[in-house]
Amino acid sequence: MTVIPLFHVLILSTLLFAIGFIGVVARKNTLFILMSLEIMLNAVGVAFIGAGSVWQQADGQVMFLLILTLAAAEVAVGLALLIRMQKKYRSLDIDLLNQMKG
Amino acid sequence: MMSIASNSQPLLTMTMASAILPQLIIAFGITLALLLVAWKRSQRTIALFTFLTLFIALLANVSLQAMPATQVTQLLKVDGYSTFAFSLILISALVALRMSHSFLKAHVEVHDEYYLLLLLLVLGAGVLVASDHFASLFLGFELLSISLVGLVGYHRESNYSVESAFKYLVLSATASSFMLLGIAFIYSVTGDLSFNATIPTAIYHQQGLGLFFQLGLLLFVSGIAFKLSIAPFHFWTPDVYQGAPTPITMLMATISKVAMFVVLLKCIIAQRYLLLENFQLFLTSFAVISMLLGNVMALQQQNLKRLLAYSSIAHMGYLLIVIIVTSAQSLAFTWQSALFYLAAYTVANLSIFIIIALIQQQNTSSLYQEDISLTDLQGLFWRAPSYALLMILGLLSLAGIPLTMGFIGKFYILSQATIAHAWWLIATLIIGSAIGLAYYLPMIFKIFADTPSDTLCDTQKMNGKVKALGGDIIEQVLVYSFITFGLVFGVLPEVINQLIAS
Repeated sequence: MTVIPLFHVLILSTLLFAIGFIGVVARKNTLFILMSLEIMLNAVGVAFIGAGSVWQQADGQVMFLLILTLAAAEVAVGLALLIRMQKKYRSLDIDLLNQMKG
Repeated sequence: MMSIASNSQPLLTMTMASAILPQLIIAFGITLALLLVAWKRSQRTIALFTFLTLFIALLANVSLQAMPATQVTQLLKVDGYSTFAFSLILISALVALRMSHSFLKAHVEVHDEYYLLLLLLVLGAGVLVASDHFASLFLGFELLSISLVGLVGYHRESNYSVESAFKYLVLSATASSFMLLGIAFIYSVTGDLSFNATIPTAIYHQQGLGLFFQLGLLLFVSGIAFKLSIAPFHFWTPDVYQGAPTPITMLMATISKVAMFVVLLKCIIAQRYLLLENFQLFLTSFAVISMLLGNVMALQQQNLKRLLAYSSIAHMGYLLIVIIVTSAQSLAFTWQSALFYLAAYTVANLSIFIIIALIQQQNTSSLYQEDISLTDLQGLFWRAPSYALLMILGLLSLAGIPLTMGFIGKFYILSQATIAHAWWLIATLIIGSAIGLAYYLPMIFKIFADTPSDTLCDTQKMNGKVKALGGDIIEQVLVYSFITFGLVFGVLPEVINQLIAS
């Protein structure tokens, strides 16, 4: 069985992370921003799992479980805010959130 | 985590449990509060219960001050420094709890969630200051930030609530994924998630993993720098400060900053990252940009909360100096100056935000409109001298005028930087403080200026203000005790020093 080198796993997670980050920066729809945030968190999960398997420790997987919990909590708050936004502005466009200036 | 399971000794001994007693009290209080809500929904009961939980935790925490450093499993380590920081956090939470009272009273609704989120926030900060492992750091970090998002957007009626809460959510989630990716990279190189892991040199030079290690370090620090609102990551700060309810802004300025800074310092000292030259360079540039940008941007602000947001950016820049010059000094001195500065910063911010909240609650129309501009300070001294005195003390302390705590804090930083020969940082600190005077002093002049009273309508409003500014008895006591704090600790900084050193 060939072992996938840690280096490759880290490259993969960096790419996934970059995709997620570009989504957060470039998307206009807040729902897609939340989804891109999930991609970023899952990219981190990949890195943890890879590192954990290289070091033969459970720590990486435990961290991944914690990250899953975080993602759920974050999306719960995010979706609640999204509903507020939809009610208030009748739209999910992020550009509407620009009342504060100075 | 695996090694805990393989240990034969019990997971949590009595000494360990007593070391994290304050955190346990808060956690237990949260569970009880949930049950309490199920039993009886009443504003008074839950407010009283939250107060008692925080107060008992504070008492337990103060009694721990003399305790020797205790390692509580791999995850937490309680020492005198973390206990002191947690005391600061609990005091800020108590003040914010009191100041939230009038905000929440205006509603028919019962605000159980507000108090629960407040307790969760304090628990997150408590875990953070005691953490000695990346897993507990992560848990505390998220507990703190997610409850803070809930609190920022708490007033649904407010104009800014959705905007500021969403901005804070997206940016804080991005920051935490940056931090997590950093931790993952560090872990993949060191193979150990605890703070005092050593970098195995063999792996460090292999397959370009060393690059990932440095990248990980940078990502990790940027995640935390976001929370501390250090310069290239500060964009959320003014908007969220402005849009959040005032007591929550108070929490963000004190609890979140103290907890994050303590954990950053702890982590950096334990890992000896500073031996890496690149890293030191990054931190130095962050500090310089923060000090200059924070102070310069604050000059143009008319909104009081935005101004304080920019001033907090500058203050975090000053604090970063402590971290940068650490390696040249003994660790005890580093901790002492960092914690003293944090204490000064917390007391000054609490004083100022108490006054902002009191000014805001005088007219119910502005209760949900979170804007409060510099003109609201006009003639404060003639309307309510004690409030004006507290405000002035806070401002002078932030500006670093002698005989205030802020001066002693800056003096510590300067003396430390001088020993380390960090002349550029010293020069920036002095320039930054000088610019700072240019917006702190006009605010003080404004407090002494004449009250604008042109029309009858205005005069009537003014009469109303004079009455309302009396505040109730607890608020009066709070104001006077903070005036005493500011004066006593400014003149006798030794009191706090002994607390930290013990």
